Amino acid sequence: MARTGGGAVAVRPDAGVAAGWRRWRPGVAAVAARLLPVAVALLAWEAVARSGMVNPRLFPPLGAIAAHLWALLHDPQLGRHLGASFTRIVAGFGLAVAVGVPLGMVLSSVPPVSRAVEPLLALTYPVPRLALYPILVFLLGIGHLSKVTLVALECLYPIVISTADGLRHVDRLYLWSAQNMGAGRWRLFWRVQVPAAAPQVFAGFRIALPVAFIITVLTEMVSATEGLGWLILYASASLVQARTFAAVALVALIGFLMDRALAALRHRLIVWERETVLVAMR
Amino acid sequence: MTREALALVVAVLALWQGLALAHLLPPYLTSPAVVLGELLRLTRSGELLLHSAVSLYRSAAGFALGAGLGVGLGLLAGVWRRLGDAVEPLVALTYPVPKVAFLPILLVWFGISDTSKILLIALSTVFPCYIAAFYGVRAVDPLWVWAAQNMGAGRGRVFLRVLLPGAAVHIFSGLRVALALAFILMVASELIGSSNRLGLGFLILSADAGGRFDLMFAAILVIAVLGFAADRLLLAVRRRLLAGSVLLEEAHRG
Repeated sequence: MARTGGGAVAVRPDAGVAAGWRRWRPGVAAVAARLLPVAVALLAWEAVARSGMVNPRLFPPLGAIAAHLWALLHDPQLGRHLGASFTRIVAGFGLAVAVGVPLGMVLSSVPPVSRAVEPLLALTYPVPRLALYPILVFLLGIGHLSKVTLVALECLYPIVISTADGLRHVDRLYLWSAQNMGAGRWRLFWRVQVPAAAPQVFAGFRIALPVAFIITVLTEMVSATEGLGWLILYASASLVQARTFAAVALVALIGFLMDRALAALRHRLIVWERETVLVAMR
Repeated sequence: MTREALALVVAVLALWQGLALAHLLPPYLTSPAVVLGELLRLTRSGELLLHSAVSLYRSAAGFALGAGLGVGLGLLAGVWRRLGDAVEPLVALTYPVPKVAFLPILLVWFGISDTSKILLIALSTVFPCYIAAFYGVRAVDPLWVWAAQNMGAGRGRVFLRVLLPGAAVHIFSGLRVALALAFILMVASELIGSSNRLGLGFLILSADAGGRFDLMFAAILVIAVLGFAADRLLLAVRRRLLAGSVLLEEAHRG
């Protein structure tokens, strides 16, 4: 996303409230400028909902959605659903990392394995693996296991590919200078290649984590007994559209917060490289 | 495909078939030969064509709608700065949302129909296309634009001859992500909301309900082949349109 905000602002040393405000003003203005389109969109929604052109039961006004959202947030069951979904996201993503990073390492450093496995990865990459879900449910049951497996399977691709790619495209100068200083193969790999590839590996994680969230919600909507996806379907089964909207809004909010948290984490962890735009799968 | 990869595939299939023939596999791991037989039967009876056509129609219509809208809006927002700035917060807010979540809402609005499925696919493909086109235009080197203007190119010409070709590589990577999404959401929408008894996702569901694992594997295989073929088709189009940059990229990769 494009970075907003005024950039550097000179602050005079005779500080105080005024100077403080001067320093913050561009930031506040930027936030206001970003909120304005959102406010316009919400107002437009409210106008349509109240216009009488649409059935308010099908196209509920914001107040009704907010009320249902409020009730949803105070539902004692919510914790259980959040817990189930997050367990699946974390376990699936963690499994993909635990398998994918070592696999990427092997692919980048053992050519015969790479020649056998990489064409298969490329071949199966555009295949919607979700189609396997019903069989996973049959094999592993309707609980965590089937969902975690599919999440891990989906997350595996970006992680393996970016790990192998990152390790392969380490600047040769680094390798040469390390070799020159007497680093062996092992040292070269762990002390030069791995740190140099870290931003790439993280880029893979950044693509994979939202995928984990999406696939979790998806599988929970196909078949589950708890979780955020199930919550949406349960709300829609009540035939109260405002309640469905509230559940969707909750999932949207979580998705948005996760994205922001990940962006902030990247900003802190990998300070030496500007963020590239990721057209990730969402 | 390298020789090693081919050998691996053949080995796995042979092992699978061998174990199945020796009755060492549970019934849900139907042997490749049986799946192939089922695939032939489905093809002969015309079922396969029908379900594939319905599924392909949904994903193609959704993809066309979403990609057209996304690329168009993205190009517009890339050129027209104020529009881009106005839309940006909305995109940032809605992009990280799993779009499947909207399926129940669409189902209420449009019923269990092709419309709700197509709209869901369009909704999820619009974002990567928008973002790719938007950043593609913004990433075009201003020097090129200045050079073209200097040589007397008007606005339309700058857009068609400089900005659009400059953004094309980004647009195609957006389209590729969108295409994969279109297939995922096609399967998802057919698994979750398909009761009009058509589509490959429905075929999987009905096979699941009937315990017909040969049918299930056959349907999964067809979905896999279609997803792969669509991706290859897009890559072929990209190769034709962007021969120069594709060759450069391949040269870099070595």
